[in-house]
Amino acid sequence: MANLRTYTLIYILLVALATGKFVFFEFNFAYATAIGGTILLAITKILLIAGYYQHLIEEPRAISYMMATAVFMVFLLVIAAGYSIQ
Amino acid sequence: MSDLPPMTSVKRWLVTTNHKDVGILYITTALFFLLLGGAMALLFRVQLWEPGGLGILEPVQFNQAVSTHGLLMVFWFLSPIASGFANYLVPLQIGAKDLAFPRLNALSYWFYLFSGILFVLSFFQGQTYAGGWTLYAPLNVPMYTPAMDATAGNNAAILALTLFVMSITIGSVNFLTTIHRSRAEGLGLWNMPIFTWSWLLTVWMMLFAFAALLAALLLLSIDRLFLTQYFMTDQGSSLLWAHLFWFFGHPEVYIVFFPALGIMFETFQTFTGRRLVGRKWVIIAMVLVAVQSFLVWMHHMFLTTINLEIKTLYMATTIGISLPFDLMVFSLIYTMVKGRVRFTTPFLFSLGALVLFILGGITGVFLGAVVLDYEFRGTYWVVAHFHYVMVSGVTALVAGLYYWWPKITGKMYSEALGKLNFAVYFIGFNMLYFPMFLAWETPRRVFHYGESAQIYHQIATVGAFVLGLSFLIMFFTFAKSWISGPKAPDNPWEYSRTAEWAIPSPPPLENWDGRPSYASGRLEFVDDSPAATDGGVAHGQGTTTEASVEHEAEHADHASIWPFGIGVGTFVFFLGLSGLTPFVANFAEGTAEPPEGLDGFATQPDIMYPVLIALGMAIMAVTLFQFGREKFDAPVMNIAERWPFGGIGNTKFGIWVFLASDVIVFGAAIGAYIFMRLHMGWMDWEFDPITMAGLVNTYILLTSSFTVIIALVMAERKNKSGLLGAMGATVLLALAFMGVKAFEYTQKMGDGHYWWYSIEYSIYYVTTGLHALHVILGVLVALFMIYRIISIDAYLEDHRPVEFFGLYWHFVDIVWVLLFPLFYLM
Repeated sequence: MANLRTYTLIYILLVALATGKFVFFEFNFAYATAIGGTILLAITKILLIAGYYQHLIEEPRAISYMMATAVFMVFLLVIAAGYSIQ
Repeated sequence: MSDLPPMTSVKRWLVTTNHKDVGILYITTALFFLLLGGAMALLFRVQLWEPGGLGILEPVQFNQAVSTHGLLMVFWFLSPIASGFANYLVPLQIGAKDLAFPRLNALSYWFYLFSGILFVLSFFQGQTYAGGWTLYAPLNVPMYTPAMDATAGNNAAILALTLFVMSITIGSVNFLTTIHRSRAEGLGLWNMPIFTWSWLLTVWMMLFAFAALLAALLLLSIDRLFLTQYFMTDQGSSLLWAHLFWFFGHPEVYIVFFPALGIMFETFQTFTGRRLVGRKWVIIAMVLVAVQSFLVWMHHMFLTTINLEIKTLYMATTIGISLPFDLMVFSLIYTMVKGRVRFTTPFLFSLGALVLFILGGITGVFLGAVVLDYEFRGTYWVVAHFHYVMVSGVTALVAGLYYWWPKITGKMYSEALGKLNFAVYFIGFNMLYFPMFLAWETPRRVFHYGESAQIYHQIATVGAFVLGLSFLIMFFTFAKSWISGPKAPDNPWEYSRTAEWAIPSPPPLENWDGRPSYASGRLEFVDDSPAATDGGVAHGQGTTTEASVEHEAEHADHASIWPFGIGVGTFVFFLGLSGLTPFVANFAEGTAEPPEGLDGFATQPDIMYPVLIALGMAIMAVTLFQFGREKFDAPVMNIAERWPFGGIGNTKFGIWVFLASDVIVFGAAIGAYIFMRLHMGWMDWEFDPITMAGLVNTYILLTSSFTVIIALVMAERKNKSGLLGAMGATVLLALAFMGVKAFEYTQKMGDGHYWWYSIEYSIYYVTTGLHALHVILGVLVALFMIYRIISIDAYLEDHRPVEFFGLYWHFVDIVWVLLFPLFYLM
């Protein structure tokens, strides 16, 4: 398990990243850029929370693969269904 | 509660958590629902005796009979009976004493039973569901179909299915944890019995597929109870349902069929006296099917408006999934050719299942081709093909009943009666379903058909009664065996090869005295008493040893009344929910912006239903609290094969598995938003968010994640006040989050933007509401933990529960990470 200092640093980072998402849409970024940037920030936040707060980096790799499979299933459903109506 | 009453006591069956008892409960309950589903089938087969119907059913009654037959057979019979076999046999086959979470196993059963009772009750609440087992939109909502009025019965049927799926989810988590973490020493995955293999893949498919169905059912239930618009719009709703339903529905075919296939493999091995030919390839083929099952769902949508490119792609993947099945079929045939067949009753049923499955498989290939599907879709060709596949599975499940009957009851049955049963069954089956191929032009779920098809329908109806008779013979055979059958030996089958046959029939409560081990290459029972283990116990590569060795000697509990109590509470709560719609409709009519087309919802409010909701919640509160407080020992195996999930505790692994399922539930809900927005045109989405509220809530939730992690640090440091403070702060932050949410919702409603206002607002309220519901559940757990910290200094010696709670809470935070940009920024 990480120590309190690491947890605190990650918390600060998470707050900064959340603010970043807001900034993308409140200032004059192109819509596509704002979406792309926000997705990147969201993925970074999710990886930080899962990796350090949920300690996924310390668990057996198989747990990460299982969760990645679940996420893949969602992408499969959403992308295929979305493509089907294009 | 730990003492288990004798099997003759009713109390035993209410409190038991033992896997064999639960298995018996599952099997007997599933057989009851088989009879009920069968009675529905006989009803509408009589109606189909002549074109236009014989007149024994009103049109809407016919629709109800057809729909409930499908729902009962697919959901309340097929999967649960397989679950019964798995409950009884999987722990025995892998060398475990019970499932990983015995109380949750009992809870799965009670949810299943009560979901079935709720479904049966739906017949008596106005009318039950009549829109077909696929619940297609918009037939599944009252908006366009008067027959779908939001009567309590219609709602109850949908809610019953939702409760059933909850049961499946809990069961999947339990079995995955058990099979991956409780295999006897030396029992690597490759060597696992083939029935257990088939069940392992089944539960993996269940975990992901049923989560998509759960999401779909939650959205549908909310549409029906609260008047949201998911499946009521004229643009995109029917496609949305079809995608969600068939993402579940196609894997469901294999979910239903795999356990039957596992039984066929087991019985072919036993009664040919030969190991399955190409066993490893068969396992690989099953894994391939399990993966491919999620890549073919759109072949159920060839007649919808999805584009031709994706139809072509899905035609190819559909052809692809038939290939591993070819390998399995050839393996079974070749095993038979290479072995010496003994035509016992279980083997006859398995062989029959193989023959029927081949026919069902071949006729399905036609439907996989887009052009042919244009012709066959919605006809009796589909009905015939579908039944040849699914009921061939039933045939193998009957084989399983005969095969394991001596083990479960300790009694032998009459082979002569068994063979008679098979003969009548096989004749009845083919009389019933084969003429449907010949009458293929008959439209599905309609009792009007061309006169030229009448003779085929009449043969089918006679066949239905013959098939029904075969089940009466089966019940008679088992009853006779139970009352006066000779005692069964431990192993009545000469060449059986799995561990359940190495112990008495029926097996003792805790299965075995020693520890089962395959380390030497064959099954042995090891004495792990201190004298015997002096010098250590050898174990194979990949075997992990739990640090808490003292657990092995622990007394295992087998009884708890609380799973039953939670089942009762949930049942009452769901029953109450089924009558909520009229109250919501009345409320909606009183607002400034009432929804259009409330006719279908206009049933009379009945005060009984809100009372039931309150009562159900009260029962759930008490029973869940007692469940949490109860001391219940379910010892973890010290020495076990755990690849690839070694190095993590059972409970933590179980929570991760549950979260994987929850990823799909939320993913499907978020996917519904993305799909509907894409369908409408991304920039045409008309929703006006309160961005600052979303941002503030983001900060609040992130901070609560931080306080939860601080709570874990405090628990590790055994700092009680720190732990209490951190947990208390988490609760306060969660309440602040809910406060902001309440402000936000109030603002929206003040502007007349209720959840029925448009699809945009429906999705906004439901998705953020589903997340808020997770927050509320988290708060309840946190409050319980605070109570435990105050009352018994909990989590200071063992901080793992704080970590487990954190896993859930951080997941809720992760979901918000996605919801914030989706609903407040984009």
